[in-house]
Amino acid sequence: MSFFEEVFLLLQDKFGAAPDPSALDHSVLIEASKLHSCVSFLKKEAPVKMEVLLDIVGVDYLGYLHHEGPRFAVIYVFKSLSSPQSRIRLKVCLSEDSPQVPTISDLYPIANWQEREVYDQYGIHFEGHPDLRRLLNHVEFKGHPLRKDYPVHQRQWLSTNDFLLDVLEARLEEKGYKILERSKEVLPNDDEYLTGSIQK
Amino acid sequence: MTTKNQEANIFTSSLDFLVNWGRKNSLWPFPYGTACCAIEFMSSETARYDLSRIGSEYVRFTPRQSDVLLVAGTITYKQAPILKRIYEQMAEPRWVIAMGACASSGGFYDCYCTVPGIDHIIPVDIFIGGCPPRPESFFDAMFELQNKVADESYMKQRAERLREQVEALQEKSKACVASAQDYAKNTSENLSNTVRSKVSKALNTISLKKGS
Repeated sequence: MSFFEEVFLLLQDKFGAAPDPSALDHSVLIEASKLHSCVSFLKKEAPVKMEVLLDIVGVDYLGYLHHEGPRFAVIYVFKSLSSPQSRIRLKVCLSEDSPQVPTISDLYPIANWQEREVYDQYGIHFEGHPDLRRLLNHVEFKGHPLRKDYPVHQRQWLSTNDFLLDVLEARLEEKGYKILERSKEVLPNDDEYLTGSIQK
Repeated sequence: MTTKNQEANIFTSSLDFLVNWGRKNSLWPFPYGTACCAIEFMSSETARYDLSRIGSEYVRFTPRQSDVLLVAGTITYKQAPILKRIYEQMAEPRWVIAMGACASSGGFYDCYCTVPGIDHIIPVDIFIGGCPPRPESFFDAMFELQNKVADESYMKQRAERLREQVEALQEKSKACVASAQDYAKNTSENLSNTVRSKVSKALNTISLKKGS
């Protein structure tokens, strides 16, 4: 019995996993409600432990040929360090009305940014995420560009560059630093700061 | 004994020519490199191509000290305000070169995140095609820019600048006079009011004393 068959039987027993007929090898379908416990099982208890989260991928199946079922999917790709050839893919299907998955950023710290990216590009919400902001697109961006119904040639200008000082200060305070004073130049002054802005 | 120094040692020229000669042979670039075009710019700085032979060897990494903004690479919408701010921080006279397909037109990035040419944000003097352009094309652009600089008239620009300054000063002085007149009027009214009230108070006290 191969590694994948063994793990798949375990997942089938414990979390009701199903094989994914449409995808490549080592792919498992799972429900969103059982995702978190399943990932924690894969990381901590499985016979071959999955220590590395390689990627989180969003999929929009709108207009996909011969596709049945919900519109969105999120795919998690795991890899093991103890036996590097062992990989596994978890796939969660999500309906268009409420695209929501529980976050796994408490298990894998890297999932924080990967989930932010999926949220940014596909508008899929990760419940319990500590800081679900856009990652690649700017703050004034409206909509989610990698959805198939986003108009490709819609340009969205940014008027002023993102003001990241508050995020930076929160990060510093988290690490035990104290903000004693701020330089006046870094504070956003409506008149002065916006002179570099881009008008439509 | 005669030496060369005793001969006449002057030459005549126009100020425009002299200023432009100085400017065009010391064009210091500010490399705004965001993609592979910046690598080509690095190679044009090396000894093989030798940018310093036209006086541009000083690459300045601050907009305050540079003359040419060299935008080499893809500009996204998220980056556009930063580029514009850097352009505004440069001292005049300033010139802009858009290097490569991405900076000139967006290149093959026909998508939601790429600016279709930096001329949407800032004025551009020279466009260079290519993806990425070779150092030779970059040199061609620099020679073109030198010709452009040689055509400019320092004296004309100076006259325009002076006229603008004079107009601004005149407006300011008018505003100053108006505000001074206002101030004088207000203070005189205030003064007369206070004086009047003091006098009336004094009169009152005097009349009271008289009465007692």
